[in-house]
Amino acid sequence: MLRPQRNVEFRRLLATAALGLLAVTACTSNSTSTTTSNVIKIGILSDCLGDFGSFYNDDIGGALSVLAAHYGGKASGALPKDGMTGAKIAGKDIQIVGFGCSDSTASKAIEETRRLVEQLGADILIGPLSGDEGIAVANYAKTNQPNKTFINGIAGAQEATLKVQAPNFFRFNPDGAQWSAGLGSYAYNKLGWRTAVTIGDDYAFPYTSLAGFIAEFCAVGGNVTKRVWPPLGTTDYSSFVAQIPTNVDGLFVGVGGAGLITFLKQYQQANGKLNSNKVMGNLFWIDPQLLAAIGTPMVGAVAANMIAADDTSAQTKAYVQELSVYPATQKDAASVFTLGYWNAMTALGMALTSVNGDISGNQKALQAALAKVVIDGPYGKVSLDSNRQAIADNWVTQITPPPAGSNVPGLKTILQIPKVDQTFGGFFDSSSTLDRTNPPCTKKTPPSWVGHEIPVNFG
Amino acid sequence: MLVLFLAAAPSVFDSFTLSQILTKALWLGIAAASLIFLSSYGGMISLGQTGIYAVAGFTMANLVHAANGRHLGWDPIAATAAGIAVATLFGLLCGAIAARSYGIYFLMLTLAISVIVFYFFAQVTTLSGYGGIRSVTPPALIGNPVANPAPLYYAALVASILVYAGIRYLARTPFGLVLQGIRDDPARMQALGFNVPLHRALAFGVGAFIASIAGILSVWYTTQISPGGVNLAQTINVLVIAVIGGLYRLEGAWIGAAVFSTIDNYSRLWMPNVGDWLGPDRFETVIGVIFLVIVLASPGGLVGIWESVWARRNRTRRGPTESSGTPAPETVDNDVDHHAAV
Repeated sequence: MLRPQRNVEFRRLLATAALGLLAVTACTSNSTSTTTSNVIKIGILSDCLGDFGSFYNDDIGGALSVLAAHYGGKASGALPKDGMTGAKIAGKDIQIVGFGCSDSTASKAIEETRRLVEQLGADILIGPLSGDEGIAVANYAKTNQPNKTFINGIAGAQEATLKVQAPNFFRFNPDGAQWSAGLGSYAYNKLGWRTAVTIGDDYAFPYTSLAGFIAEFCAVGGNVTKRVWPPLGTTDYSSFVAQIPTNVDGLFVGVGGAGLITFLKQYQQANGKLNSNKVMGNLFWIDPQLLAAIGTPMVGAVAANMIAADDTSAQTKAYVQELSVYPATQKDAASVFTLGYWNAMTALGMALTSVNGDISGNQKALQAALAKVVIDGPYGKVSLDSNRQAIADNWVTQITPPPAGSNVPGLKTILQIPKVDQTFGGFFDSSSTLDRTNPPCTKKTPPSWVGHEIPVNFG
Repeated sequence: MLVLFLAAAPSVFDSFTLSQILTKALWLGIAAASLIFLSSYGGMISLGQTGIYAVAGFTMANLVHAANGRHLGWDPIAATAAGIAVATLFGLLCGAIAARSYGIYFLMLTLAISVIVFYFFAQVTTLSGYGGIRSVTPPALIGNPVANPAPLYYAALVASILVYAGIRYLARTPFGLVLQGIRDDPARMQALGFNVPLHRALAFGVGAFIASIAGILSVWYTTQISPGGVNLAQTINVLVIAVIGGLYRLEGAWIGAAVFSTIDNYSRLWMPNVGDWLGPDRFETVIGVIFLVIVLASPGGLVGIWESVWARRNRTRRGPTESSGTPAPETVDNDVDHHAAV
């Protein structure tokens, strides 16, 4: 086949394409104006794809509600992703430059972070959502953007703060291990478990989440005999259900997101109805979205996280009221996703107010102020340790039968675990590795809260 | 003009555009070029290219200084050579297995390669695990690609030019000509005495070599590699890029990649919110619609559209000439055919 014109054609084609690209990118490059002293630019990074994509509007809604409630922000539409304008903190205009849409992978999180920070010029980034993303963003903050400020959204891998220790990365939510505090002791002392098996998705967050249970359960004398790790994104858990031995006292489930629905269904098909004294879950079990999706099978079981969902104190009501600008987010007020992003923006608002909106001097004053922030949140005070990681109360919660006229189970908070810190009283340090086999199951001095749990009854 | 433009890009664009649009387009283009080489000259549409470039990336990342993985501390250049070598050998092995299959069976076999590689690295925590390998050290010449993206851009540009020229050259060698003969009629080539499976396996090895270059560049680009970045979605992305550019035109690889990375980035700025239906978070919908339009309107991709416009213009100028409605695979000029066949 003869194509005498092709070389000329393609050169022209390539040149045209290149020029087109030049025009497109040059036009858009101009839109990235430099920061003026009266505008503070904020980017919000979350997941709109992947296993946690369904929490997108809970995440950014949690953050934006703070601006609407306290700083004069006006929602541009019914959904948080429509944006918000008009907010001012300490006289400075707050501009939301964009929302990052990741998919729970580190590479996409970094791409989106770079888009928000480098292309759209965000001075401050709130996010990301998921474990490995958090480690990647903390590393990026430390290595490439020391003069910008990063406040974690709801990512909960321990390494992001305990190991990376980026001076400009702040996390106002507990990590995955802290969210499991209280459960190991409850299993051993209340449910009488002596041996247990764990199952969780095979990546950084469940490594942390299950480590919290394992560290405490083993410290008080329990023994974890097997740890099963299905890959993240597994859609058929039957082969993993088959690996769970039945001759143990209990099963701790750290399967998260949409996978939990399938896992529980298949587990019951293999082993019959769940025995709530022999099974326990991590923070996902009491997430409003998953509770509504799964329904009654989990009734009676115990789980834990940073939320006391049945607390009706004035402080909790005020928090729920703050979310009223976005009714869909307000419905998920008791979700760690909503609260995590709410915490981040609340802390930022407090710190910016205390430095009078001054982000000059490479934001060092702002970062120093953030390190000192204490949030008097809906479920207790949140402060930071020297690695800029939250110290907060954890709440052990029992899933109760649905109230009349509903098929969504209720929640009853039974224990307050006071002031849970990331190291579990020295159990974890910056040399700790959390993976499929670590931490090892060893009996040692239990964390300080064991034996000091506070029974609660919110009626 | 194009070369001048590309060479001058670092002084024209801000560092974000240079890195996230142009450098990304170049390395994605190389990955798509490995697929287009196989489909255009060998008639093999492979979904295994992502898996193969992942092997190169993971091998290199395990050998150099990094967080996680084996972090053996090799010199980055030596580790790069090892990564390319391992991925090429892996490609030859896969080629040997897949070479006797055609059509949908070949597609499925190569898809299996990508899926196996994804699960292998996600499961084998000593080599990666789901979290992947972070803080991978690039060679000193590349430096920190975030702080100073120009060196990596030039590396990707030079690699792209070499890949393009290399494939063009290979197509004119006896090996390339035999490959095109096999693409057009394997039975006849077999009857003529050519070892068809061997040629196809070798071609797959060449495709793996090209893909492995993309794999190395992708790791330098993000300074990390994780199974999440080389999953099924990325496998499909590489195919989508090739189809948008033009599955039967080598140039289409980079054109498709440039369009893909531009839309990936800017659709998040341009897209209006329409309730819950459309918005900046609907990049995949946008790229999917473009993909459908391209497949329906121009099976030859953007290059095919250009060709048909060009042909129509010639026709109106010079009167009716021969023109084909469907895309034709890459074929070298007849005089070279003749020369090489002698």
